Amino acid sequence: MAEVKEAGAQRAARIKLPAIFAAFFRLGITSFGGGTAGWLYREIVERRHWIDDREFLSAAALGRLVPGSGGVNLTVQVGHHLRGGPGALAAVFGLLSGPLAIVLALAVGYTRIGQSAALDAVLDGVAAAAIGLTFATGLKLVQFKVARAGPLAITLATALCVGVLRWPMIPVVFGLAPISIGLARLNRRGRNV
Amino acid sequence: MSDEIRTMLALALVFAPLSLLSIGGGAALLAEIEHQSVTIHAWTTQREFADLFAISRAAPGPGTMLSTLIGWKVAGLAGALTATVALYLPSSLLVYGAARLWSRWRGSVWHTAVERGLAPIAAGLILSGGIAVLRVSPGGPAVWAAAVASTALILRWPGLHPLALFAIGGALFGLADATGLW
Repeated sequence: MAEVKEAGAQRAARIKLPAIFAAFFRLGITSFGGGTAGWLYREIVERRHWIDDREFLSAAALGRLVPGSGGVNLTVQVGHHLRGGPGALAAVFGLLSGPLAIVLALAVGYTRIGQSAALDAVLDGVAAAAIGLTFATGLKLVQFKVARAGPLAITLATALCVGVLRWPMIPVVFGLAPISIGLARLNRRGRNV
Repeated sequence: MSDEIRTMLALALVFAPLSLLSIGGGAALLAEIEHQSVTIHAWTTQREFADLFAISRAAPGPGTMLSTLIGWKVAGLAGALTATVALYLPSSLLVYGAARLWSRWRGSVWHTAVERGLAPIAAGLILSGGIAVLRVSPGGPAVWAAAVASTALILRWPGLHPLALFAIGGALFGLADATGLW
């Protein structure tokens, strides 16, 4: 870990704050469809080699574990890794400022056109595709992470309680998390034996 | 307290706690954001919520720009910035602090168990988000069918660019409306 940090510090010395901002700005305006982690991997790891695979995976896992957008959490960590607190700020502002401007411009356009049946129909079509993207993301996680019965039941219980029955998310998460973590712990122990 | 400040405060009070409870990312929040915006605060109608969702997903970025749009709908640019900061700042500070502890615990059994235990919950929350938006979508069965179709398309061809899919969806529905199919 120490060598990794040292290597990171050496690389960080060469990377200027404006460069961090610029890289994440580019990332922000090109990452369509929400899968920021995938786009970040291409841009920061494969293209610029600012962090290595192991650093990326560790940051991505923590970004998912901690509340918040996985992509933003990943960005905070990479920025921090490259240049400390200022690096984290530059990276997050870079990531968010472009999309913020674009989404507000779209919203202003939406207001100008006003409520029209044609626009509503087009947006319904876009929303349907976007919902498909959301479902696909959830199903991909089910496929790769929770292929066994226990975790699958947890996923279905979560979707049933929050999505179908519309129970408030917070108590559901706090109720299911200990069960799910316990299951993962038991499973691990069983496999080790 | 002026109305404006009260509105900003209300936005911050809705989105800041969500920031710390959005395990599994922004998509996991959709169900709760819809509930707060449409039912509790009446910041948007169902129609507007569905439209803002579509706009937020058509734009690039981390995919949680929906809060920005709801803030904007309620109180213009100041509302947009308030909602954005409220949604991202608490979780960013948390991950900043947690990054140090994470590397220290790396490899411990509990560390692995927590990570693996939260994964299926995150998946369930993301699916819930899709269901929540489907429910408020006024487009009816056509939207449900198109959502299922696009889910299948993305799973079948993961390399498919989301923007292309959005364009196809928008064009098909626009065309259907123009030709009076429904």
